[in-house]
Amino acid sequence: MNVELIEIRDFLADYPPFSLLDPAALDTLPKLMAVRYLRRGSAFPPTGEAAALYVIRKGAVEQRSADGKLIDMLGEGDIFDAPCHGALPASSTVPATVASVAVEDTLLYLLPCPALQTLRREQPRLDEFFVRSAAEHLRHARHTLDRQAQQRPDLMAQPVSSFAQRAPVTAAPELSILQASRLMTRERVSALMIVDRDRLVGIVTDRDLRSRCLAEGVSPEEPVARIMTSGVASIGPENAASEALLTMTRHGIHHLPVVDAGGVRGLVSATDLMRWQSANAVHLAGQIRKCASVAALATASAELPELQMRMHAGGANAAQVGQAISSANDAITCRLIELAQQSLATTLGPPPIPFAWAACGSQGRHEQTAHSDQDNALILHDDYRPQEHAAWFEALARFVNDGLDACGFRYCPGKVMASTPAWRQSSQAWVATFQSWMRHTDNMGAMLAANFLDLRVVFGDPALLTPLHETVVRECARNEGFLARMAANAVETRPPLGFFRNLLLAGGGDHAHTFDIKRGGLIPITDLARIHALSAGLAEIGTVARLRAAAGHETLSSEAALELEEAFSFLGGLRLRHQAGQIRQGLPPDNFIAPESLTALERTQLKAVFAVIGRLQDVLAQRYPNRTRE
Amino acid sequence: MMLERLFSLDYRRRRLLARAPAGPLRDFLATPFADGKVPCTETRYLALDLETTGGDPQQHEIVSLGWVCLDGTRIDLGSARHRLVRLAGAMTGDSAVIHAITDDEAATGVALEEALRELLAALAGRVLIAHHAKTELGFIGQACARLFGGRILSPAVDTLDIAVRRLNRQRETPAPGSLRLGTLRRQYNLPRYPAHNALSDALSAAELFLAQLAQCPEPPLLKNWQFRQ
Repeated sequence: MNVELIEIRDFLADYPPFSLLDPAALDTLPKLMAVRYLRRGSAFPPTGEAAALYVIRKGAVEQRSADGKLIDMLGEGDIFDAPCHGALPASSTVPATVASVAVEDTLLYLLPCPALQTLRREQPRLDEFFVRSAAEHLRHARHTLDRQAQQRPDLMAQPVSSFAQRAPVTAAPELSILQASRLMTRERVSALMIVDRDRLVGIVTDRDLRSRCLAEGVSPEEPVARIMTSGVASIGPENAASEALLTMTRHGIHHLPVVDAGGVRGLVSATDLMRWQSANAVHLAGQIRKCASVAALATASAELPELQMRMHAGGANAAQVGQAISSANDAITCRLIELAQQSLATTLGPPPIPFAWAACGSQGRHEQTAHSDQDNALILHDDYRPQEHAAWFEALARFVNDGLDACGFRYCPGKVMASTPAWRQSSQAWVATFQSWMRHTDNMGAMLAANFLDLRVVFGDPALLTPLHETVVRECARNEGFLARMAANAVETRPPLGFFRNLLLAGGGDHAHTFDIKRGGLIPITDLARIHALSAGLAEIGTVARLRAAAGHETLSSEAALELEEAFSFLGGLRLRHQAGQIRQGLPPDNFIAPESLTALERTQLKAVFAVIGRLQDVLAQRYPNRTRE
Repeated sequence: MMLERLFSLDYRRRRLLARAPAGPLRDFLATPFADGKVPCTETRYLALDLETTGGDPQQHEIVSLGWVCLDGTRIDLGSARHRLVRLAGAMTGDSAVIHAITDDEAATGVALEEALRELLAALAGRVLIAHHAKTELGFIGQACARLFGGRILSPAVDTLDIAVRRLNRQRETPAPGSLRLGTLRRQYNLPRYPAHNALSDALSAAELFLAQLAQCPEPPLLKNWQFRQ
């Protein structure tokens, strides 16, 4: 029989936590509820109600703190469970004195708290939603993301049709060879399928035009059928790409028509398929080492987005992908330096003094994606004499920075690059520069220093950096004023509040149509991790490594460190999925996620991430109260 | 009938009670009606919708009933009921299309008498809410006369009537279609429900009533909103 109140059941099934219920429990859920209507401007929750969990069915509720600051906006599908005390991690930061008001005419569903308690006892998955710690929530969220990625079939298992996307280029058998070759030129194809009354009868390739027409002295006015290969192999659009590759190998051919009952559907080439298959890290590193020019490196680097996508589809997590992309960038950087040295040898000679090429930023932390800027610096031996050596290192830096840009690692907008004179200094001069940054009372110095703290040698003598890095770590931990300025920078960018309908909700009531996952999530966590590691005098560089090392130290509880690590991994996973989707569509990957591309559960999870970040920013701000801003 | 209106509803209830044969109708009439001098926000209601084979209670049949109770401004979904009625005659093609209920489905329903008995038990002491209450009152009245051998009377509020009166007060003429349940609901930011399921429509009317009530600066007295019958 039909489920009664199905429109309410179906609505509840779309949003967490009730989306976690099994179907039978969902069917009976509406009957446990009540409905209230609030006119715009009315106080929320409605007066005269016993404690209940509220679901916004239609309309909007605004929550403000006692001093009038916007805390949250609730829209369709959002829940408010504070009256039942089973507060979500997301709402754990909501102060007790909150003035909530319906800002639109609002229809509410109420689940009385005792009914919720009973339901939680009967439904373990629902109960978990309410009792899990923030870190547990986020770990669960990350596992779900990883599983989704793994369930995506391997690329080679995907149907041929997804590789043969352009409309087939075909010709009739009686068309002249001349016309056929013009058609191929116009359509920019190297193979032409010959079709007679919707039936594939043969194929003509560039090679056939050469060996069977020109070399044989066949007149270009002859019909194309004369030089075509007939009886060609073909494959169905639903067959797997791996089968297409096998068929080509077996027949020694490079093009395979895609044919179904309705006729010719397209053509796949070995190049199309190999392009995907070859994108793996080991293969790519080998390719990079063999590249003899910047142009060749740029071509090889074009595989990076596909590598990232394939790794994601193969179940790699954000940390592993970050390692792979950063390593590939290391290999590209090294190869560029070798090429630069070869080129400079004929003009300015060999390197005049030892040097080290260091990566900073995300490459330094091994957290790059296929969409990253370059951040780097040169550390020169203390024998450095600008009058004699500057020209050589400037030329090197320019060559490598330009090369990296050509390979997709675009110029750093903040000019944190070896080609900037300030980022090209001797080891001693670097110490002096860094110390001046530490003494400077402005936050800009702290910002520059933060970059410096992620430094890692990619090419050359690591010993040039090591003593400096150790000095830096030792002195930073003692310099409370410097830490305070870094803290001020770290808490400056507040995470968003959450989502309201398809908008990202920021403090101050600003709405945005996209969520910058880097600025709004990943960077704040990276900044927090850096400060906590630094204040504990730890030399770790990666964000996760820093959090793990700093966990349990004076400034960062183990629980908080775990929350941040889980939040970081979850955001990383979400970014990978977002970018994989863009790469598959042939778009350049970016960091801007549309709220509507997230499930209701993911939005809830992101809200928990924001809450974790916000809370730990508050803790940090309280630790350095004199220097930090609002 | 005109004369009848001069008497209070509860007085008329008592007169009908005296004449009603024993059974569900009599039980229903034995429960006092809601006090008209109480604000609408403190009254108990039952929102009802019927799906029928046509518009005339004399010749058409009730296909299904859906209802849900309200206590003041709170709809209790636990009280929601949906009953398909086993039909005496065959469904006419048109109404089967509208209600998406086929003869086969209707054959699985309950006897009208059983559904009506359940409804009257739930309605006792409550005020009926319906969109175009005349239809619901007409069909229920006809069914009670036939099955329980007496006249029924129930206080009612009509969401359509409330909307019309509001427009009249503003000296506006309703635009065509503007008084339909779905259109009125949109004006109050209420969600879209699939139309033509008796329970959905009953719930729709109940929510619309809450919205109409919320629009009033001061809650009206029940007697001022009561549907005249």
